[in-house]
Amino acid sequence: MILVIAEQRGGALNRASWEAIAAAQQLAGDLPVSVAVLGSGVDALAGELAAADVAEVIAVDDPLLSGYTPDAVAMAIEGLVAARTPGTVVLPHTYQTRDCAPLIAARLRRPLVTDVTAIKGTGASATFVRQMFQGKLTAEVAPIGDAPVFVTVQVGAFRADAVRRGSGAPVSRVSVAIDAGRIRQTTEAPFQEAAQAVDLGQADRIVAVGRGIKAQEHVALAASLATAMRAELAASRPICDNGWLPMDRQVGSSGQTVAPKLYVALGISGAIQHVVGMKAARTIVAINKDADAPIFEVADYGIVGDLFEIVPALIAALET
Amino acid sequence: MKIAVCIKQVPTREWQPRLTDDRTWIREQDASYEMNEPDAYALEEALRLREKHGGDVVVCAAGPARVQTVLREALARGADRAIHVEGEALGAADAAVVADALAAAMEGEGFDLVLTGLQSDDQGHGQTGVTLATRLGMPHSTIIMEVQVQDGRVRLKRELEGGWFQWVSMPLPALLTIQSGINQLRYATLKGIMAAKKKEIRRVAAPAAVPTQRIVALSVPEKAKQTQMIAGAPAEAAAELVRRLREEARAL
Amino acid sequence: MDRETLEVDVLIVGGGPAGMAAALRLAQLQQAAGGEPLAIAVLEKAREAGAHVLSGAVLDPSALADLVPDYASRGAPLAAPVADDRVYYLTGRRQLRFPFVPPPLRNHGHYVVSLNALVRWLAEQVEAAGVDLFTGFAGQDVLMDGSRVVGVRTGDRGVARDGSRKAAYEPGVDILAKVTIFADGVRGHLTKQVLSRVPALQDGREPQQFAIGIKELWELPAGRLAPGSVIHTLGYPLRHEEFGGGFIYGLPDNQVSLGLVCGLDYRDPRFDPHMAFNRFKQHPLVAGILEGGTLVRYGAKALPEGGWNTIPRHYLDGALLAGDAAGFLNSMRLKGIHLAMRTGMIAAEAAFEAVAAGDTSAAGLARYQEKIDRSQVRAELFPVRNVHQAFGHGLLAGLVFSGLTVLTGGRWFEDLRGHAGHARMKTLAWYYGRRSGAAVASNATPIDRRTTFDRVTGVHYAGTAHDEDQPVHLLVQTDVCRSACGPEYGHPCTRFCPAHVYEIRPGPDGRPSLQINASNCVHCKTCDIMDPYQAITWVAPEGGGGPQYTGM
Repeated sequence: MILVIAEQRGGALNRASWEAIAAAQQLAGDLPVSVAVLGSGVDALAGELAAADVAEVIAVDDPLLSGYTPDAVAMAIEGLVAARTPGTVVLPHTYQTRDCAPLIAARLRRPLVTDVTAIKGTGASATFVRQMFQGKLTAEVAPIGDAPVFVTVQVGAFRADAVRRGSGAPVSRVSVAIDAGRIRQTTEAPFQEAAQAVDLGQADRIVAVGRGIKAQEHVALAASLATAMRAELAASRPICDNGWLPMDRQVGSSGQTVAPKLYVALGISGAIQHVVGMKAARTIVAINKDADAPIFEVADYGIVGDLFEIVPALIAALET
Repeated sequence: MKIAVCIKQVPTREWQPRLTDDRTWIREQDASYEMNEPDAYALEEALRLREKHGGDVVVCAAGPARVQTVLREALARGADRAIHVEGEALGAADAAVVADALAAAMEGEGFDLVLTGLQSDDQGHGQTGVTLATRLGMPHSTIIMEVQVQDGRVRLKRELEGGWFQWVSMPLPALLTIQSGINQLRYATLKGIMAAKKKEIRRVAAPAAVPTQRIVALSVPEKAKQTQMIAGAPAEAAAELVRRLREEARAL
Repeated sequence: MDRETLEVDVLIVGGGPAGMAAALRLAQLQQAAGGEPLAIAVLEKAREAGAHVLSGAVLDPSALADLVPDYASRGAPLAAPVADDRVYYLTGRRQLRFPFVPPPLRNHGHYVVSLNALVRWLAEQVEAAGVDLFTGFAGQDVLMDGSRVVGVRTGDRGVARDGSRKAAYEPGVDILAKVTIFADGVRGHLTKQVLSRVPALQDGREPQQFAIGIKELWELPAGRLAPGSVIHTLGYPLRHEEFGGGFIYGLPDNQVSLGLVCGLDYRDPRFDPHMAFNRFKQHPLVAGILEGGTLVRYGAKALPEGGWNTIPRHYLDGALLAGDAAGFLNSMRLKGIHLAMRTGMIAAEAAFEAVAAGDTSAAGLARYQEKIDRSQVRAELFPVRNVHQAFGHGLLAGLVFSGLTVLTGGRWFEDLRGHAGHARMKTLAWYYGRRSGAAVASNATPIDRRTTFDRVTGVHYAGTAHDEDQPVHLLVQTDVCRSACGPEYGHPCTRFCPAHVYEIRPGPDGRPSLQINASNCVHCKTCDIMDPYQAITWVAPEGGGGPQYTGM
């Protein structure tokens, strides 16, 4: 059995939970998949998850799980693993998972493969693909040790819309023993803070400009496209060297390394120093007047042409 | 306060990967190495905590003989002494093996606070810190942006996704994994480098390894996808691109 | 300002083969003599020992054997003994193999090495001997008391591009020494300061002659070129008026080092050494070797090849000059590592004796000169001191007979004497007349991004990294650049720099203006040497920045 631990915060499921279900369905082959949701008052969420084609949705409801602490979640998952004896436990590779999954795997002395981008094979013989050396190398790894194997899947690597839907999975409740006295952390309410520096590494979409933008006053055009795409604005090195955009928006070997879902390169030739910073993007669009520009070698979609004509047309097309 | 900082030696960012003949690891002899970046921030945070609260900073690393270079560097920046868990195979070991090795050497030291970087720039499992906390029986918190120590407890600003943060508190001893950029790194000084030579590096043999995973194959990622060129007048090409981004790539 | 000082007995500036050999020799002498240990410090700007050195390299192990007799059992990284020597003359499409290898190019008993690996290994020996090795620290200024060198000031760290102090600002340290050994390499920026502040050192000397070597490391399909294979070429892609040649050395693990050396005394202002290197790789002989391989590393470095007559007096009050910094390189044999090490060792002996005798004035240090004059260094360099002049007219026949393969080319004796190489560069008008055309490379060749690459890609493979937020370390007289060098020479810096540091872009007023991409710099010093107006001064960027050469 493959057990997925869905993640929720404040009564809403994280989209990465659905991606984890998609990964589990792929990994399962003929094996059943169960999905567990942990928290306090999670019946509605369990009902939501029952739409997936899974054998069982498990609600683990406990007041001690109302706010996240690694100790409480670890105790809950340990109890769940004892009750259901899964072969593999799949979690989305979120900040919360990064905080608690190693704790559970270490306590149970079981393998944990993190930040997986693809799965080869099914069930117990599956191997997992993950990046190493900051994306310079791709590794295929095989877990060693007894079940369950813990696997966390990279956010965005599997598609939430690829989850097979079913005819309503049964929902059951499992109660686990959480010892309040063994929860060592106390938490305060989460708060939001204006970012001090732009963290392009977290951006879903990025519109980046290069030398093809020609003059500082034209950067505003790229900014409008970024707004229309709900994207962050970034740049290749010459733009930041000229001071047309601040250094913290520079992508490449002397700037940030990014892996957004969408990367639109406007007038960027594609020097290797830039490409190493953005080639991990899932979808890359290149717009450049030079058909031989190396950026087209890494692009999924390319338009050869004048960005001063194409970008306004793109903004218009996005509004329809 | 007795603070430990675990640092890893990793290939430099400028390093170009070369693989062993069986393509399961890198050719270590061709790599140049440096201190893992988040670990450097963890070290700096430890030095600042020592300046504020007094005590000792002990740097710990697991790996082959070459990792003494980063230990010396840490001593030059101001750490008081070092522990080197020595093992030729530790350079390529998984996070659980590294955590076990560090735990065995650190157990009897009675550290009040253990800091690590949030993950390594080589294998990047992001597990060593938390696994070590578990082995040492300490509570932990990860991806820390600020550390306050008071009355036998720590209060931490933990980073969540999307610009959200949260304060978390726990009793000491505790283990924290530190986010890059939490502070401003200092430079090693000439006098620091000279002083480092006189500081102790305690060498400990690595315990027997119990690996939890195995690298089956390493490869340089290659773009398998074909570039789709979109032709036509600007308005048409733009409309077609938006359609494909919405329908094919689902990137919008 | 509150500036720290550090006092040592001997300061060695530069941790290359000369500096490391000097440090190790000093430590050995100290050990043999016993008594109070000397304080010895080595300053090296690279973040890691050996990361900034670049050479072919074929090593004559004679100096190494004297310095570390048991070098083999200590694991000195001598990659492959030379097994096979070949010399070719290249035309555009063909190659003619020399029927015999000219004696100076015979490499029996030598080794193909990675100089990075060798220096890294030397650094281990040096540290084990108790020497303070300060990597990541750049010397910035020579400290003098009248005519006496008293030490070196290291560069400030944590200075922003606009000159303001960043949070981590750390002022440089004054390192004071009884003797300072300058081993800061070819066109060392501190040696340059010494030479300009003590002009007498160059009395009666010819100006130094330089070349630029551009080199790559490749990984090839198995069995392409046996380890220890040594190939030298002359002719194409250089014309008779350009002087230099190519090299291809087989390394273990299916790796190969290849490069092209071009004299920095060419006349054509539109000549481009990097383009010449690309043409070299496109030649069928070289392209056949590289086919199906991948680029691993790229690098470039100037080399001093003027020989004996250009070496300045290398001792002065409180200081000695050693290795490439002083010009100890045998360009006829294409070798300098062993001379760098040898002069480093001799400098160490002279410094040790002077410190022991309590006289580190020029008189006390003059034994350095005497020892060199009695050593293999002079025995090797003096007989070939007139090589450039003697064979200036000779072209091919002269080359074959002399074995001067990569050295002289069509050089005119009259031109050479008394002229630095940069002074030979002609203006566009002189060289091209009215046909000067656009100021682009005269030897331009398209790149294919498989075998040939642009400079920026090369920079990536050099592993160069500098903190971006620091002052530009290339001091350019931009008025000269705009008003004279551009119109007259067509900005040759954009061509002789192998790292795309110099770029002409439309300025705010629409006129062409120089943009300096300082963080691309691979520290080769070519710009400091070859600028026709000498309008570029290379100063050290923040310590730790620069290329990251490994396996080169």
